[in-house]
This record gives sequence, structure tokens and C-alpha cells, in this order.
Amino acid sequence: MRPEAATSVAPSPYEAPELYDQLFESLDFDRPFWLRVGRGCQGPVLDLGCGTGRVLIPLLEAGVDADGVDLFPAMLDRLGAKAAKQGFHPRLLAADMCDFTLPRLYARVICAFNAFAHCETIEDQLATLRCCREHLAPGGALVLHISYPGAALWLGADGTPVLEHETTSVATGHRLQLYDRRFMDTVNQRQRSEIEVRELDLGGGIVASHRFEARQRWIYRYELELLLRLAGFPRWEIQGDFEGGPLERDDQQMIAWAWREPA
Amino acid sequence: METQDLSKYIEPALYDVAYAWHTADIPFWVTRAQQAAGPVLEAGCGTGRVLIPTLQAGVDAEGLDLHPGMLDVLKKKATAVGLSARVHLADMRDFTMARRYALITIPFRGFMHLLTTEDQLRALRCMREHLEPGGSLVLNLFYPTLERMVEPGDVERIEREFDHPETGLPVALVSVRRESDRVRQVLHAEMELRESDARGYAGAVHRHRFSLRWTYRFEMELLLRAAGFPRFEVRGGFDGRPLERDTDEMVWTAWKD
Repeated sequence: MRPEAATSVAPSPYEAPELYDQLFESLDFDRPFWLRVGRGCQGPVLDLGCGTGRVLIPLLEAGVDADGVDLFPAMLDRLGAKAAKQGFHPRLLAADMCDFTLPRLYARVICAFNAFAHCETIEDQLATLRCCREHLAPGGALVLHISYPGAALWLGADGTPVLEHETTSVATGHRLQLYDRRFMDTVNQRQRSEIEVRELDLGGGIVASHRFEARQRWIYRYELELLLRLAGFPRWEIQGDFEGGPLERDDQQMIAWAWREPA
Repeated sequence: METQDLSKYIEPALYDVAYAWHTADIPFWVTRAQQAAGPVLEAGCGTGRVLIPTLQAGVDAEGLDLHPGMLDVLKKKATAVGLSARVHLADMRDFTMARRYALITIPFRGFMHLLTTEDQLRALRCMREHLEPGGSLVLNLFYPTLERMVEPGDVERIEREFDHPETGLPVALVSVRRESDRVRQVLHAEMELRESDARGYAGAVHRHRFSLRWTYRFEMELLLRAAGFPRFEVRGGFDGRPLERDTDEMVWTAWKD
């Protein structure tokens, strides 16, 4: 008989930074892009919603002067410890992305991997974008990545758990499976996810199960452009992939570049 | 501004044949107009499907449309019922009227003819300037229905079958082609009005095309904000129910301070 699986309950996946890292540290589809963004500018970079440093640490390793903001102190603690081991000491601020103050201005403020979907109201979205603009040096740019909420996202969710991500933990050798039950509210552009992360041992037995809940508010292209306009950005551009291609299909990504006026 | 190709649009003489069946929204618009504390302007009044009943209800109402042929039909219909309609050949994105209005309406998804954000903002700002303080703008749009958006575009679909308002013979309004550009939020539609004779044999076929730009709920809120409207609300239908499903009709009211 297998021992009874341990079950932990946490409201947000961001309150389990160690597990978060085991799940996502190997995720690198966007890393070359953010390295190009970081290397390609003259000045410091701020990573908004930096989490445990999936993007921020590679930026530091590439010699970029980068700071981070995240709502969850536990995520930042883990980021700080990982960075310190490599001799990096970025400025990390535990704050809401819609209301933060840092003492310097940045050449780039970046917001990676759907972090902006955590702004659930127009007020939060606008406050976040305004806060980003205020932290940009003249001529600097906000670079924001959010998936386009295509028809497949809305129509594909039927409330059954979907294996969304699977990986092997480097730390434990356990297989990690992330199951997502999605509940979509089309007209309010909201997604609620009941997440279960299962840890499997080598024999396939469930060692542990971790349950989380997450909410996202998706945005459309013209909506994003209006948000940038209302937040006071004088100029912006929306691309459809990490190579700078146009947005043409609803299964693409949105990469928004929004510039602060030059000095 | 994007130019509108009126030649592909339905012929004015056929418009009332194609849409005479659509009467469900008229009481809503007439009631709103009667409740207005001052003059009313209807943008995109077309052949007067809504404007003529509004005038018949005794409302001080004017109309504007950029299609001269539609306005000709409207004027003839008004004269026939003993009304003189004040209508203006004008573009809802850029017009100048001598009066200010207590209510401006854009019925029957007229706002969806504006295909770009810039055109939408121009129109909303222009309407706001033409409102009296405390006046309101009311318009309806369809919420983009996902199931419909992902259908293959070349499947024929009978939208409506009805009797010809003059001859009583059967007519069908058929969607021949639909293409939804999901990231540009534009529906390109090709429709046919198919007439039949008394024995049911196929008669004249009138093909027409139009493009409609859809707008999502929060996007519309942002448009209204950007155009300077401080207060607004959306409903999910003319009966005032909340907007909940993607098959609902968005009915927006925006107030000028």
C-alpha cells in the first residue's frame, strides 16, 4: 500500500516559490527575447512581476543592470537568495504593480509571461501602465508580453482538468504535472483556474498534491492600445511574436512596445 | 478616415424590403426619444426605420446619414405619411449641427460601420460635442459570438425568411459568405436578398456586402473614456438585462456631464 499522499493547500501558486521554480525554471521560450531587450538598451531594466527570477537572473548573468518588482515577498526571497549565490544583488521591491515607487528611472520596464493579466480591472491596468511610464527614462520603453485571448482559449475550457504542463524536478527527480481546470467568463474577459500540481515518484505514485487558484483578466489588441493611450504613452507598437512579426492570428502572442516621449 | 464604399452596400430601395421585419427594437428607441428632455439626433438614420416612428410619436428629432440614397427613401416615406423629416447628409465622424441635443442615438449597430479606433473616437467626440450638458448617447452593438466567429466562412445560412412588404411574396435574407478577422475585429459579410415568385420559384437575387467592426465590452468603456464621457453603462439587451453572454446585444448609454 502506498503511503497516503500529502496534500497542501495554497491560494496562489506564487506563495509556493520552490514548487514554482521546479515547475517553471526550465521554461525558456521567451528568454532569448528578453535578453535581446535587456542587452539592446542603454540603461537599467526593471522586471515587473519578476517572480523568482526566471527572466531577471539571466538578465543579470548577461551583464544587464536589472531590478525587480513582485507582489509576493516569498518569490522575491527566493530570487534574492538565488541571485546572491551568483554574487548579484539586484534591487527587489515587494509591491503591487499598480502602485510602486523606485528611486531611479529605467531604459526598459518589462512585463513578461502574462503578468499583466493579473490586473483585473481597468483601474488597475491604467494605474500599472501609468506607474511603468513614470519609471521610464525619457525615450525609454515598456515591453509587455501577454497572450492574445483567441477563440480556442474561450471555447476550449469545459471545466475538466487539462494537463497543461509537465516537467521533472531537478531538485527531487520527481515528475511534476500541472493540471488546470479553467472557468471562463467571456464577456468579462476573465479566467479562473483551479490548479493541481501532482508530484509523482519514479513508480508513478502520487507523492504529493498541491492545489492553487489563479485568476486572469485577458485583453484584446485594440483594448491594449486604448489602455496605452489613456495611460499617457504617446507612441506604441504591437507585435505578434518574439521575432517582431505582425499580429495576424488569434493564436499568437502580443508583444507591446510603448515609448515614453524623448527628452 | 476610412472611406466607406457605398456601392457595395445594399441598394436603398431594397433596404426596407430586407429589414422591414426588424421592428423589435423600435419601441426602445421611440421610448428613449420620448423621455429625452430636449431635441434628439439619430446618427445613421438610413431609410427612417426608427426615425419615422420617432417623429410619428411627436418627438423633436433629426437624422443624419452619409448615404444620400437612403435619405431620399426616408424623405419619400416621411412625405407619404405627412411628415417633413429634418435629415442631414453627414458623416457621424465629422459633422456640425446648429443645435445641441438631449439625446443622440445610433440604432441598429450603426457604430459598427466605423472600422478603426481613430474613426470610433472621432465619432464619439463629435457626438459628445453635440450633446447638451447632462445629455446622453445611446447605441447598440452585437457582442461577438465565439461560436459564430469560428464557423467556416463559406457556409450559406438563411438569416431570415419573410414576406415582401409590398408584394407579399416570399423573400429570404441569406448570409453567403462571412469572414471574421479575429485580431482586427472585423466581420466581412456578403449577403443575398432572394426573391421568389408566387409559385415559389427563385426570382431576383440582390447581392450586397458590408464590413462591421466589433468591439469588446471593456474596449468600448475605454473608447468612451478616451472620448471624454465621464459616465456610462452597458446592458445585455433592449429589455435592460445585464450583459452576461456572448450572444447578448450590448446596449450602451453614455452621459455628458
